[in-house]
Amino acid sequence: MPRNSEKLNLAWFLRHPLVATCILLAMTVLLPYLRVGERVKLWALLPVAWAAGEEAAATNEADLSPDERNLLELRRAREQAASLLDENNALRQALAQRSEQPADVACNFAQAPLPQTVDARVILKGDASSWRHSCVLNRGREHGIKEGMPVTCGRTLIGRTFMVDDRHCIVQLLTDPGFSAGCIIVGQGETPLRVRGVLRGDGSVRPHFPRLELEDVAVGERVEAGMKVLTNDFSGQYPPGLAVGEVREVIPQAGFLQVRIEAYLDLDSLDVVQVLLHDRPTLEQQAMQLLRRKK
Amino acid sequence: MLERANNLNHPQYRWRLVLGVGLLCAVLHAALIRRLDLGEWQPDLFSIAALYFSLYANRQGRYLPCMVLGLVRDFLSLGLLGSYAVLYSLLHKLASKARLRLDPDHFVNATAMAFVGTFLVNFGYHAMLALSGDGIGWSRAAMRCLTMACASAPLAPFVFVVANHGLGRLGVQRLAGGYVNV
Repeated sequence: MPRNSEKLNLAWFLRHPLVATCILLAMTVLLPYLRVGERVKLWALLPVAWAAGEEAAATNEADLSPDERNLLELRRAREQAASLLDENNALRQALAQRSEQPADVACNFAQAPLPQTVDARVILKGDASSWRHSCVLNRGREHGIKEGMPVTCGRTLIGRTFMVDDRHCIVQLLTDPGFSAGCIIVGQGETPLRVRGVLRGDGSVRPHFPRLELEDVAVGERVEAGMKVLTNDFSGQYPPGLAVGEVREVIPQAGFLQVRIEAYLDLDSLDVVQVLLHDRPTLEQQAMQLLRRKK
Repeated sequence: MLERANNLNHPQYRWRLVLGVGLLCAVLHAALIRRLDLGEWQPDLFSIAALYFSLYANRQGRYLPCMVLGLVRDFLSLGLLGSYAVLYSLLHKLASKARLRLDPDHFVNATAMAFVGTFLVNFGYHAMLALSGDGIGWSRAAMRCLTMACASAPLAPFVFVVANHGLGRLGVQRLAGGYVNV
């Protein structure tokens, strides 16, 4: 019986695409668990982060045209506004602690103090995939950023940090299919209405004010167009009171309400954003908070 | 003589083409197509490029370039590493079989193959999203894939003609059967 003398090497794999595809499929399953892919992707974006850093360092005002100088001043003004907002938040937090009242009970949702922030510049917008939505920021682990932290523009929720390197990070925008956040629909009037729902990204292709859906809204709730949608602190992943969007349409379905909202996210206007240094509380911490509220 | 024959078989510009096309498509997707308010009617340039390699490249230049093109897309997007690489590898298998029956130089054939290819790649990607719990609903995904396929398919014949012409200008040889030596 003739013995197969074909040796198993790289050339063999190249001649057998199906075997190589199966190995690739297996790697697709394994890589997320090993998180190798994320590290490699972050390395791939290093030149972009480096170039953005070099550009910022090499900017000499005397060599700039009037338009470029205006742009630089605008950028500085935005960074200044962001740091003032940060200071304002810190002062509000201090005030809330001084009055010894829990912030979310004493204050209105929209006035709840935000945690400390890190200002970051968006150095790359967009994603090569037609389904995913992301952007790259020029701040990373060295600035105190961790994975899963909320990213805002003022008080508007933009997304969350997804992969973090030393000096840059990738943000998963709220339109990405993998994004979800506990939200609350706030009604204005004599009897304020608060309805819970879950915001899920759907890979929406609209770059300006995308239309998204709020899931798990109980049927019978009096939700109307024009109501504001804010984050709630149900899961603890996002601080309460971040603006998400506005209700545009409500369609009653069997067992739940289909609430379509228009998000405030405008990808083109994103230049300077804030990463909230907010860690998701552990289950024990959440339980302690609940106990304190009951007391 | 032997040296000339070896040169003829040696692929021309393969990896430079694959990386160049991959980066160009990534820039076009991230910077241009995303900004245009096209709604769901977004063309999938990466899939058209992968289909071109599957249909026109020589026998050795189909599978790996398609896979590398997918890896480039995976590197520059948020999804799992290897998702598009696997899908484009499977697309190459399908396109190679379809090419035996359909002539891609015919306008209608090229459009039909681009429509089916783009639809299957995007629907497959949604299947991977759904497996990881991030699906957007099958009917909605099917509609989105259809609109993307409708937007991409008419572009394919023009892209193929321009690519063949460009490769001809670069001096890439045409092989028997209408393949290009990349």
